[in-house]
Amino acid sequence: MITLQTLFIAFFGIASVAFGVSVFRTSSMMRSALALLFSQTALGAMFLAMQAEFLGVLQIMMMATEMSIMAIFMVMFMMDPGGLGEMEMTHQKQLSILAGVAGALVTAGIALFTHWGADGVAAPAAAEQTRALGMELLGRSMLIFETAGVTILTAMIAATAVAMPALQRKKTS
Amino acid sequence: MNTLIVVSFLLAGAYLVAVLEAWLASGRFRLAAPAWAAMALLGRESIVPRTPDRLFFETAPVLLLVAALLAAAVLPLSPQLVITDLATGALFVNAALAYVLVALLMAGWGVDGAYALVGGWRFLGQVIAYSMLIVMPITAVAMRAESLLTTDIVDSQGAVWNIVYQPLGFVLFFIAALAVSFLPPFDLPTAGGELAGGVEAEYTGARLAVFRLARMVLVVSLAAATTVFYLGGWLGPALPPWVWSAIKILAVSAAMLLTGHYLPRIREAHLLAWSWKLGIPLALLNLFIVGVLVLIWP
Amino acid sequence: MSLDLLLALFIGAALFGVGIYGALSQTNLVMIMMGVELILAGALVNLVAFWRFLHPDSYAGQMFVLIVMTVMALEMAVGFGVAIARFRTKGSVEMEEAQELKG
Repeated sequence: MITLQTLFIAFFGIASVAFGVSVFRTSSMMRSALALLFSQTALGAMFLAMQAEFLGVLQIMMMATEMSIMAIFMVMFMMDPGGLGEMEMTHQKQLSILAGVAGALVTAGIALFTHWGADGVAAPAAAEQTRALGMELLGRSMLIFETAGVTILTAMIAATAVAMPALQRKKTS
Repeated sequence: MNTLIVVSFLLAGAYLVAVLEAWLASGRFRLAAPAWAAMALLGRESIVPRTPDRLFFETAPVLLLVAALLAAAVLPLSPQLVITDLATGALFVNAALAYVLVALLMAGWGVDGAYALVGGWRFLGQVIAYSMLIVMPITAVAMRAESLLTTDIVDSQGAVWNIVYQPLGFVLFFIAALAVSFLPPFDLPTAGGELAGGVEAEYTGARLAVFRLARMVLVVSLAAATTVFYLGGWLGPALPPWVWSAIKILAVSAAMLLTGHYLPRIREAHLLAWSWKLGIPLALLNLFIVGVLVLIWP
Repeated sequence: MSLDLLLALFIGAALFGVGIYGALSQTNLVMIMMGVELILAGALVNLVAFWRFLHPDSYAGQMFVLIVMTVMALEMAVGFGVAIARFRTKGSVEMEEAQELKG
């Protein structure tokens, strides 16, 4: 049975995959980063179509800044950020295509041949969802959530420590 | 129907803000100034730079306009007058504002010019520093309302407006709003004196008109956000709700423009240092204070 | 089993495949990270789909999505830290030139 929801999921999902493919098909780094951004944004819209309102809006918000940061790093670290020199930036192409297709087919096969059980009931209203998610975060899953926070802190310190220039140690003797 | 009313309201607001900006710039109050300027821009030749990234060049002004309009879509002008009352409205405002950054990056990169590029990357640093100052004060506001619905947030300010309840949050949000709408003293991406227009430099004609309009709508959207989150939205005696909203939004827009008029543009390094070293700790302090306040004096 | 669930899982599978291709075929560290982001995006789609179509009343699913989003951010932060360190010492983040890391 094809409903409006199915159509929206298909539309945004296919848009997301198409943008995802174009990340690796353009040689302009800025286009590449923004294609990834719009892939993730389409994904956020797809979450909205699946009635996960909070997650969809969060995805749309987070990815905008995340991928913009990605863009500046792309431009900083690439030899040819504008993509005007037609540089070859890939290797082991055959193997990669093979692995990509195989990975997609295997996961799709698993999706197809697993018995997923009965359909769930209708999703709760958005306001109720947000509230219940908050209760989950600060109730049963609090420890996991706190772990995520501590992990972020660790990663921040680690990344800063790695990225800092090596200290010029004074030779004492 | 609501959509139409809100959008026309925004456009009218943007027009008035443009009048105000022209008044501040030239010292003469002329009601028709923006209309003449717009007609002049539309009539002018649209020059396209030599080697643009055409896709980004054309999309950027439109995306800026769309982001500004989307941010306003969840902000109520009166209890009924809201385009869509999302259950995650307060978060959605942030999401929409994040695309202002994307639009300016596109504009900076797309025209293939040094000044525009510098302006675009400057804005990246600026927004990443100041988006925290948008998110954290809004979190404090949502904590008091115990809801992300923008209408609930206004209702929660029935007794005391948030500007009194959490003045620190208001100050931080106001400054961050100036930074996100790149008004002076935070107009680093367009900086007239040093970057010759920055991201706007290579835009001419109709595209520049869209760009300017989008910026004005953005200012009005941010003023509306300030009104809803801190100034009690439509609340007020005697007059109908939407009139109160209109008065407050215009007052906040005027305050935003006037602030920049009397302050010098700050340096990029200072801007970042103030946000990361001073602004974010203050925002966290604000969250803490509001958390305590919510417990003892709801 | 509903069509919607299957559709969402197929889209997740496609994103996963594209991500694998990107992560294996690109020579630049930042581009490889983009591939990894796409792989994680595929995981996100699956998680949201499982939450919506199988267990809409259990919020552990949504919780899991938040954790994966955290992982995406962490991957970026640490990846860029490594990229900066590499660029400082070697002047490039091309992975072809990182052969000496091989044990």
